[in-house]
Amino acid sequence: MRLLTVVIAGIMLAGLSVGTADGQEPSYSREGADTCLSCHEEDAMLAIFGTKHAVPSDPRSPFGHGQLQCEACHGPGDDHAGRVRRGQERPSIPFFSSTGTSSVEEHNGQCLDCHNSDVGFGWHAGAHPVDEVACVDCHNSHARVDDVLQTSTQPEVCFDCHQLQRTETMKAFSHPFLQGKMDCSSCHSPHGDNAATQLARQTVNDTCQQCHAEMRGPYLWEHAPVSEDCGLCHAPHGSNHPGMLTKRAPLLCQSCHSQIGHPSIAYGTEGLASDMPSRYLLGQSCMNCHSQVHGSNHPSGTKLMR
Amino acid sequence: MTMMTNNSKLPYVLTAVGAIALAPAVNAQTVDTSDWACEYCPFEEGHQGDYEVGATSVSDASAYFGNATGYDEDGVYGNVDGQGSYAGDKHRMRWTLEDLALDSRAAELDGGRQGKFDYNLAWRELPRREFLTTSTIFAQSGGDTLLLPAGWVNAALTTGMTELDASLVSRNIESDRRVYEIGGRYLPTNRFSFSANYRRQEKDGLNIYGGSTFTNASLLPMPFDYATDEVDIGVRYSGDNSFVSLSWYLSDFENENLSLQWENPFTPTTGAETLAMAQAPDSEFSQITLAAGFSYPDLRTVMSLSASIGEITQSSALLPYTTNANVAADPLPRSALDGSIDTTNFAFSVTSRLFEKARIKFSYRYDERDNTTTQDTWNRVITDIVVSGDLELNIPYSFERSLVSLSGDYDLFDSVRLSAGYDYRETERDFQEVASQEENTGWGRVRWRPGQTVQIDVRGGAAKRDVDLYDEAVAVSLGQNPLMRKYSLAYRYREFGELTFTWSPLEAPVSITVNGLYADDSYSQSQLGLTAGDELSLSGDFSWSFSENGSLYVNIGSDSLQSEQAGSESFGAPDWYATNDDDFTTIGAGFRVQQIGENFDLQLDYSHSDGTSKINIDSAAGAPDQFPDLTTDIDYLRLRLGYQRSERLGFDLSVSYQQLQADDWALQGVAPDTIPEVLSLGAMPYDEDSLWIGIGFRYSM
Repeated sequence: MRLLTVVIAGIMLAGLSVGTADGQEPSYSREGADTCLSCHEEDAMLAIFGTKHAVPSDPRSPFGHGQLQCEACHGPGDDHAGRVRRGQERPSIPFFSSTGTSSVEEHNGQCLDCHNSDVGFGWHAGAHPVDEVACVDCHNSHARVDDVLQTSTQPEVCFDCHQLQRTETMKAFSHPFLQGKMDCSSCHSPHGDNAATQLARQTVNDTCQQCHAEMRGPYLWEHAPVSEDCGLCHAPHGSNHPGMLTKRAPLLCQSCHSQIGHPSIAYGTEGLASDMPSRYLLGQSCMNCHSQVHGSNHPSGTKLMR
Repeated sequence: MTMMTNNSKLPYVLTAVGAIALAPAVNAQTVDTSDWACEYCPFEEGHQGDYEVGATSVSDASAYFGNATGYDEDGVYGNVDGQGSYAGDKHRMRWTLEDLALDSRAAELDGGRQGKFDYNLAWRELPRREFLTTSTIFAQSGGDTLLLPAGWVNAALTTGMTELDASLVSRNIESDRRVYEIGGRYLPTNRFSFSANYRRQEKDGLNIYGGSTFTNASLLPMPFDYATDEVDIGVRYSGDNSFVSLSWYLSDFENENLSLQWENPFTPTTGAETLAMAQAPDSEFSQITLAAGFSYPDLRTVMSLSASIGEITQSSALLPYTTNANVAADPLPRSALDGSIDTTNFAFSVTSRLFEKARIKFSYRYDERDNTTTQDTWNRVITDIVVSGDLELNIPYSFERSLVSLSGDYDLFDSVRLSAGYDYRETERDFQEVASQEENTGWGRVRWRPGQTVQIDVRGGAAKRDVDLYDEAVAVSLGQNPLMRKYSLAYRYREFGELTFTWSPLEAPVSITVNGLYADDSYSQSQLGLTAGDELSLSGDFSWSFSENGSLYVNIGSDSLQSEQAGSESFGAPDWYATNDDDFTTIGAGFRVQQIGENFDLQLDYSHSDGTSKINIDSAAGAPDQFPDLTTDIDYLRLRLGYQRSERLGFDLSVSYQQLQADDWALQGVAPDTIPEVLSLGAMPYDEDSLWIGIGFRYSM
């Protein structure tokens, strides 16, 4: 794998090339936004003037001094704004029009022209561009408050495509997505990243331990799967089982533990409360005694009981 | 155990640094906008805001519905919500207030001079409510001690605890999280930015922890008091076609209670009347990350990489082997673990669309956890009674993971895109039964757009995970049956597939999406442990904007997870088998109509979800055994009526009804003394319903 790293370095050095503008003269409107606003005066359209895209004092903003205003995103609008003969269909604005023919990649290119440096590189590395997800599928740049940027409304935006995850979050034991108190981007980096499954941090455990740092250790007595991947025992989007466990104990534990004696016994219904209540089955099951499943820092805690 | 020296990390860093030094240059384009006055542009100026003051009546106490919301007790709750903004000539601010009078309150503020600097402040609280039905005999003393009540009569079993009923005191299992954040970013030029963020999380309350003796255990209401401070500082250079950033992350976890001591309610061994377990130790994680990205427009190629190195340390003082002064325990080999883990993460990807119809992506990822904690021999005291005599080494688990992925897309026709990919994963571990495993995954996909409004995606593939050797000697040294194959280490063959159908007709404001996904795992070389698993998920969405102001939606989903496993009571060949079937279905529907009679808004949402888990045990000792179903049945109905009295003033009326009914044999009928050897907290399965009626007054400024 180290050889691979060196090869990657070589590719990067060899592949460098500087891009140039294509030089085409676009046909922009005569008066910029004033041309557009003479027709487009809907509230939803005008709401953009309460957003970060419409800050005149910011020269990087589409409405910053010298910038292209509406046409910064929608593209040259002279044809669209020009006169049309009776019966003639008005030409579509190049980008972000319901009747336009631009591709998803071209649409996203409009956004990435400005946002490439902050989200663009990770974007290309992630799964979303492969699925031809458009920026506007998630973002509403005209809204004063963009739903995908609000914790309480973001999950529903993501669930439009990630339907399995919506189903999982509706299971009885989940993180507080449905209560509007946690959003997908608490754990995921939707603009893509080099982390696995577009996580907010480098690994699953790094991500979980942002909020659950008490599980981090290192412990004197570690539990091997805990140190490797929280997802080996937990289903973070939701589960039918308390603690978002993937399965009910003791069978979850017995998927890996077969030591002679009580770990290897098949506990049946005779151990239910109505029969002969079993300490291995009821309450916290294995965790009635082995409560330190995430690791123990006690010198006598090798069995994760102290 | 060190698996990689610091020197060997050099190539990762050099790769990043070398690439940064060769960042591409800048493009520019100009248009004459001197006549673009923007006279009709209604730029936001001054203060704007929408605030709501209200009250909600809650009919019943509920841990489940109070969890994360704060509506856990019956009664009337006041509340304040709002959001606002201020825009000056150069300075802007935006703030949000949410549930200010509840335990789930949040307040956030961000602002700045756009393009120059920005800042953010946040304060959020999150209540966790787990059980309101629990009771205990223990009284908390200080932050880390649980005492028996005066006059307590110890007994060998709970059935003999004569003072139990009289000693039980209701104690909810609940906790609260508070998060404080402050951060900012400074942009001295268009190219550079400096950022710094600080976040403190405090979490305290009670958790259920089992405290064990030799043959008994007590479920303890363990008090905990955690604080985590996080700092994230970074500098970033952004070119037109490149960026490079360097950041430092620190997470410092502190636990006010490094131990939990409790008095043993069972008949104690002499000298072991008070027992102790360790709580989570303080720890610190620091990480430096160098990231960069480059795009090559002429080549339609983008590269990105990141390289991180980090260290996790903990040096909390260790507790003694035992609290039992009558046991002649060895001296500890050291007074603190002084544990240390080095982490290394490296990732690289290149995506290229050199040809109009083809796209190719290559990525490589490497993660390492190198636990460098020194090993020692430990002579534990078994449940505070007897010195083990078996000297045991602490095991510092380490691993290296790498993943190489190659995928490509090709537009066969305008309406058909073909995709295929290959992944190679390699994992190496220390101290476990499998030292090295590889997984090869291949997949293919067809995307077909038979018309402008329809899209069909079909994806499928297979993955085979091989292990070089499942070392039974290691398994036996850990006391395992040599036939056991842990599912994360075992040979596995996986098949998976997915079908997605989307229809969004141009002529009607309707959208339909149907998705099906399945995965089938076979652990065909495992005799004990997990032997098979599969998942089938189906979902569908329908939405319809039936008028300019009205829309409705319906979504349905189901998820079915099945697994099979085998065990051996005889410590030999498999002699019992178990199946786990989790089935879950959900349906959600609702509509929203705005501006009814110009002044009214009406919204209705309903959801139902139904989870069932079936467990079957088939052992040689008896007839097949089926556990009672574990079920959760949740309904949620919410009606909201809004009335806009004037441009500024509005009223809201909302009515929510929710109910949860659960069957859970692990809790059903388990009173504190039901299990003879375990003193429990008597937590009951959820059987809750709650009606919330709220009114609110909205004012827009």
